[in-house]
Amino acid sequence: MLHRRIYQFFIIYFLGIATLFLVKYVLNLSDYVIPGPAEIWQTGQSVFTRYSFNVLNTLSVAILGHLLSICLATLVGIIGRLTLWIGSFIRAAAYNIQAYPIVAVAPIIFILLGDGLSSRLLITSMICYFPLLLSFIGILSEPVTEIEHFYEVTLRMNWRLQVKIRAFENINKITTVIVGSGTLAMVGTIVSEFIAANAGIGHSIRMALYQSDLAKILVALFLIGICTSLYLVCLEGLGQFVQKRLQGKESS
Amino acid sequence: MLLEFKDISYKYPGSINDVFKNLTCRISSPGFHALFGPSGVGKTTLAKMMTGGVKGFSGQISTSGIRHILYTYNLERLPGWSSVRDHLQSTTPDSGQNKIDDLVNAFGLAKCMQSRFAQLSLGQQNRTNLARYLLQDFDLLIMDESLANVDEVTKENIILTMKTIFPERCFLYISHSVVEVAKFCRQILVLRGQQKSPQTVTLRGQDHADGKAHIKRDLEQTMLEIVNAA
Repeated sequence: MLHRRIYQFFIIYFLGIATLFLVKYVLNLSDYVIPGPAEIWQTGQSVFTRYSFNVLNTLSVAILGHLLSICLATLVGIIGRLTLWIGSFIRAAAYNIQAYPIVAVAPIIFILLGDGLSSRLLITSMICYFPLLLSFIGILSEPVTEIEHFYEVTLRMNWRLQVKIRAFENINKITTVIVGSGTLAMVGTIVSEFIAANAGIGHSIRMALYQSDLAKILVALFLIGICTSLYLVCLEGLGQFVQKRLQGKESS
Repeated sequence: MLLEFKDISYKYPGSINDVFKNLTCRISSPGFHALFGPSGVGKTTLAKMMTGGVKGFSGQISTSGIRHILYTYNLERLPGWSSVRDHLQSTTPDSGQNKIDDLVNAFGLAKCMQSRFAQLSLGQQNRTNLARYLLQDFDLLIMDESLANVDEVTKENIILTMKTIFPERCFLYISHSVVEVAKFCRQILVLRGQQKSPQTVTLRGQDHADGKAHIKRDLEQTMLEIVNAA
């Protein structure tokens, strides 16, 4: 799983680099626009440690924001599955609000909360929250009649059992959605750092952009790709572990 | 009278055709009874009317001595997060705990107890599902093709065991098997579709029970009556 993701990333990354070099040599662009391989290598050596810490900083905020959005989406999804007016209201609100680009709200958050951790965390959570919410509402609102029927006719059904049944029956879907939103969490954190934050790899990319230093940006992208792949692999592994434990596949 | 349907009329929402028109029939004693008829005639609809799953019909369903009606069907599943044994133990009321082992053995499920539901064959799944319903408190159990995918010998064992363990309860068995219905049921309500009048015919089955011999000729006669009525 890990090597597959890393291979995929390397292939895409080095194809991108090769395309840049192709453009550079075909159009005869200067090193100022697209640096040569030697310059990229030297820049990599000089900023690798600092950027690695920055990426880890970003990753930790992404993980926190991701967890926060999973908890929030679960909570709202549980309320949104209700057939009462509050459930309908939450479902309608979720479908409408998710259509709005959350990144556009980011400047307001920075103005109100400043450029520290809270703003990065909030924007990260918001960016991966809505896709999660829509999936969770869909999953938790869909009755699993062939299992729930018994509990309903024997008057044993309660909201916790209902949520447990629906979540268990859709555990593969939930795992896929959570893994998918892991990428969004990284994207959200980097975007927030890029807009205004004072830390993280997004902030480093912004600084490099001001200096028009493409080599630094390429090194940052490399580290982001490696870290995101590792995070997604961890999520997939965790998802598979949970599925196996819940479905009792270890004993079969 | 235990259960009576009087002048039941019903159309599916959005449909112009009646499913039932002035349907009247009754079940007069506890025991193993059948609801028989061709596909689409309204057997499941009638069963769901009894449990409150289908509303908006005219007429009256009256019961006497029946407080708790359960409806089970053959596509039901047990949750997969625990073994079959754990599930049966956790869903059986205290009054039924001592019957678990008897039913498990009679239903041939002893080897499946440590497995998860999804690991069982279709026949085992249906038997497990029926067993958990039998362990509940009920006065009338409607079994909608609950023994589908179960071999004939095991099916006979199960029905005879049910009749022995629960002689005072009422069962309404929905099945397409003429032999089963004729052999094991006391009353057979044959649903005939709304174009025929009367819409139901009640026949007397052989009500075969453990230790009671049945005469082949009588069984064939009942089967013939069922086929003609349907």
